[in-house]
Amino acid sequence: MEKKVKLVIDEKEIIVDEGTTVLDAARQSGITIPTLCHHPALSSWGGCRMCTVEVDGAPRLVASCVMPVREGMEVVTTNERILESRRTVLEFLFAERNHNCMFCPQSGDCELQKLAYELGMDHLTVSFSFNAFPTDVTSDYLIIDHNRCILCGRCVRACAEIAGTYVLNFHNRGPKNLVGLDLHESRQESTCYSCGACLQVCPTGAIYNRYRTHYAVKGHRKDWKPVESLCPQCGLLCPTTSHVHDNTVIKIEGKLQGNGDRPDRGQLCYKGRFEALKSDGKRLVRPMVREKDGTWKEAKWKTALALIAERLTAIGGDHGGNALFGLASAGLSNEELLFFKDLMTTGFSAGRVGSLDGDPFQGVSKAWEIKGEPLKEASWKMIPQSDFMVLLGANPYQTQPVLSTLVRRSIFERHIPVAVLGEMDCLPLFAAFHFPVKGEKLALLIKAFRADVEARAKKSSRKNQKSPQGRGKGADISSLLKGAGLPKAAQQAFVEMVEAFVKARHPLLLVGEAVTGLKNPSAFQDAVSLAQSKGPLAGNVLKLIVLKPYGNSAGAWKLGLSSNGNGKAKVQPKGGLLFLSHQKDLDSRAMAGLGKLDFLGVISPYFPESLARKAHVVIPKPLGMEAAGSYTSLDGRETGVMRKILDPPEGVKDSWETLNALADQIGFRHKFKTWDELSKKAVEATKSRRSAK
Amino acid sequence: MGVPKVATVWFEGCAGCHMSFLDLDEDLVSILSKIELTFSPITDFKDYAFPELDVGIIEGGIGNEEHLELAQKLRKHCKILVAWGDCAVFGGVNTLRNWIPKAEVLRRGYVETESTVNVNGVIPIHEELPPLLDKVLPVNQVVAVDVHVPGCPPSPEVLAYSLVSILQGRTPILPNEMLHFD
Repeated sequence: MEKKVKLVIDEKEIIVDEGTTVLDAARQSGITIPTLCHHPALSSWGGCRMCTVEVDGAPRLVASCVMPVREGMEVVTTNERILESRRTVLEFLFAERNHNCMFCPQSGDCELQKLAYELGMDHLTVSFSFNAFPTDVTSDYLIIDHNRCILCGRCVRACAEIAGTYVLNFHNRGPKNLVGLDLHESRQESTCYSCGACLQVCPTGAIYNRYRTHYAVKGHRKDWKPVESLCPQCGLLCPTTSHVHDNTVIKIEGKLQGNGDRPDRGQLCYKGRFEALKSDGKRLVRPMVREKDGTWKEAKWKTALALIAERLTAIGGDHGGNALFGLASAGLSNEELLFFKDLMTTGFSAGRVGSLDGDPFQGVSKAWEIKGEPLKEASWKMIPQSDFMVLLGANPYQTQPVLSTLVRRSIFERHIPVAVLGEMDCLPLFAAFHFPVKGEKLALLIKAFRADVEARAKKSSRKNQKSPQGRGKGADISSLLKGAGLPKAAQQAFVEMVEAFVKARHPLLLVGEAVTGLKNPSAFQDAVSLAQSKGPLAGNVLKLIVLKPYGNSAGAWKLGLSSNGNGKAKVQPKGGLLFLSHQKDLDSRAMAGLGKLDFLGVISPYFPESLARKAHVVIPKPLGMEAAGSYTSLDGRETGVMRKILDPPEGVKDSWETLNALADQIGFRHKFKTWDELSKKAVEATKSRRSAK
Repeated sequence: MGVPKVATVWFEGCAGCHMSFLDLDEDLVSILSKIELTFSPITDFKDYAFPELDVGIIEGGIGNEEHLELAQKLRKHCKILVAWGDCAVFGGVNTLRNWIPKAEVLRRGYVETESTVNVNGVIPIHEELPPLLDKVLPVNQVVAVDVHVPGCPPSPEVLAYSLVSILQGRTPILPNEMLHFD
């Protein structure tokens, strides 16, 4: 047990652990000390002198955030001298730069302003500097206005301690001191990941969000409602707090404290913090039907749903169930996916129900099939335990951005070598090895990797048996490397990489869509073999993580929504398809898969512009934020429940209601009596190991 | 004291503080019955003869030489000087021009503004036009101020609270919940 220390703060006797700071001791016993540069999730700095207190009546005040407690210490947190000191510090902060609350978007949500009110600072007794400082508006997500910066260094510490990206640091000295990126780069040219950790900890408006800055939208902070939820965008299921006002999300924050066993330290990413606030344009709020002349007309819910039921049933009757398809986005909740699958396969007897990430799924499931062993993917939380990482056709900054910072943190903080095979945006600068090849060349490179690793394993076992060494494999490898288009210099690096991989004890392979999505499944199988060569972790867990393309791909794959979607399945000349979508529009790849259809119904939050000439009926649905639902984590091990954060636009029915109405139309009695029951079933279905197709 | 004499002036600012004062609605009647409002943008009396005043109120920052002179006169002739609003207290939104050389500010204002047609680029100079100061300053940087009422604008309640306190013979210090910089 830790040693306890007894001290007195404001005449109150307090017993705390040895090593506690005076600030924490005071806070633990409900005594408030104002702070600015201090943040509970960051290391203490003691720079702003706002938290100064009097210790044992000493003439010099001390910063309580860095002052450890001592036995018998007597602390006074408030008296006229202390308040005067704090007010003076505050006045200097206001005078040094240009803090104009009336046109600052952070007004009302600003710690500097709040302190000024609390300390009754109704004017300044010192003169303003009126110096102009630069403003960096080069980012799509955040604005850095140095005029409002108080140099508290929270952002610098957050960038290092939370994000682990070490982009922000102090530039220049004295009055010219600025928080800057890298070596005086603008935000755009820096190695910043746009995670926004700096923005979340900034006590003023020096770093602020590009979205939701206007008073008319933001309203008053006191009217905001915080909603605890999670981000369903990539499968990492990061816990979030969304601040909601007037059915609008004002800001989304990560949980910098109380983040459980997650290695991300409460970090969010550009998707979860910023993209989620972007408006994707006008929402679809009424069902619409395409007339014979090609124009779209609003229709009643009942009419539109009846039309879908009628047409799909007719096509199924004429051409059999194999002419009917169900297609779902893998960004939908497990409940929506399960209900949709049940309705399509059992209700409409559709031949196939698939998801938009069909290609990667097929590549992966094929590999599992061939291996025939009960293998499991590693969890993304194992990244901090690895001693060598290989990214195979993975672009985590695009798919799972927080994961890319975990990799970067491993490089910076643990000095772990990282090999990147394939094209990528962010990491190559810091990677030990980078081979930017793609497509079949990438497949050949991975094959060479596997062959080399296996040849070395054979060589070493032969060495043990003292038998002559074979050289045949070596020639094979060099021809593979040639095929992969690797120049001579890179071939040397390749050998070094293989050696590092063979030496590594806990390597981790991160495999992305550029490999799993290849037509030829052998590349992924080679990756699995590579992982197997390093032995499994406890419980038959492979040292391999598949980076899946959509937010709930893991859930969709577990529910067996696999077969269709990316142009592989031959849509018959006569056919009908119902598409349940979660996004604004379809990308061209998914479009190609739709082919020529007799009937296309779409249920989507937005009008699907790219399908305007193909679809016959469109039905509105809520966005992810506008409905509750469960999502499966990237590694398939956890289920996260997303709370409903916003109300959908007036008149938009949720998927439960819409799918139920469709079931009623065809007289299908599904097995889910209530939403709760569906929820339970969805959780069960996604928990079971790689369910049968 | 008899009926206290109160004067208000409007310097470099938007008149929002005076508007906020007018927003007191019927309370304004009861306040006006207790004071004698001498010159003010509200009365439009242009009589700057400065009798002895009890309360002088300034809205806006000190932006030109006329402001400077009036502020000094007002200080000399009134017992209590009040600064209304962020411009008078901190300099406010006007201080954005403090980063820019005066000649550039005048050119932007008189020549380049989108609504202006000034082909010859004339910057008006006349003895009746007070020259612009290099920088806009808060009032307390040029004369001593007794009462600061920040806010952009201060709400009518805050203006009434401070004025009534003064009339009751107290020097008001705004309670924390009445402090606002926006």
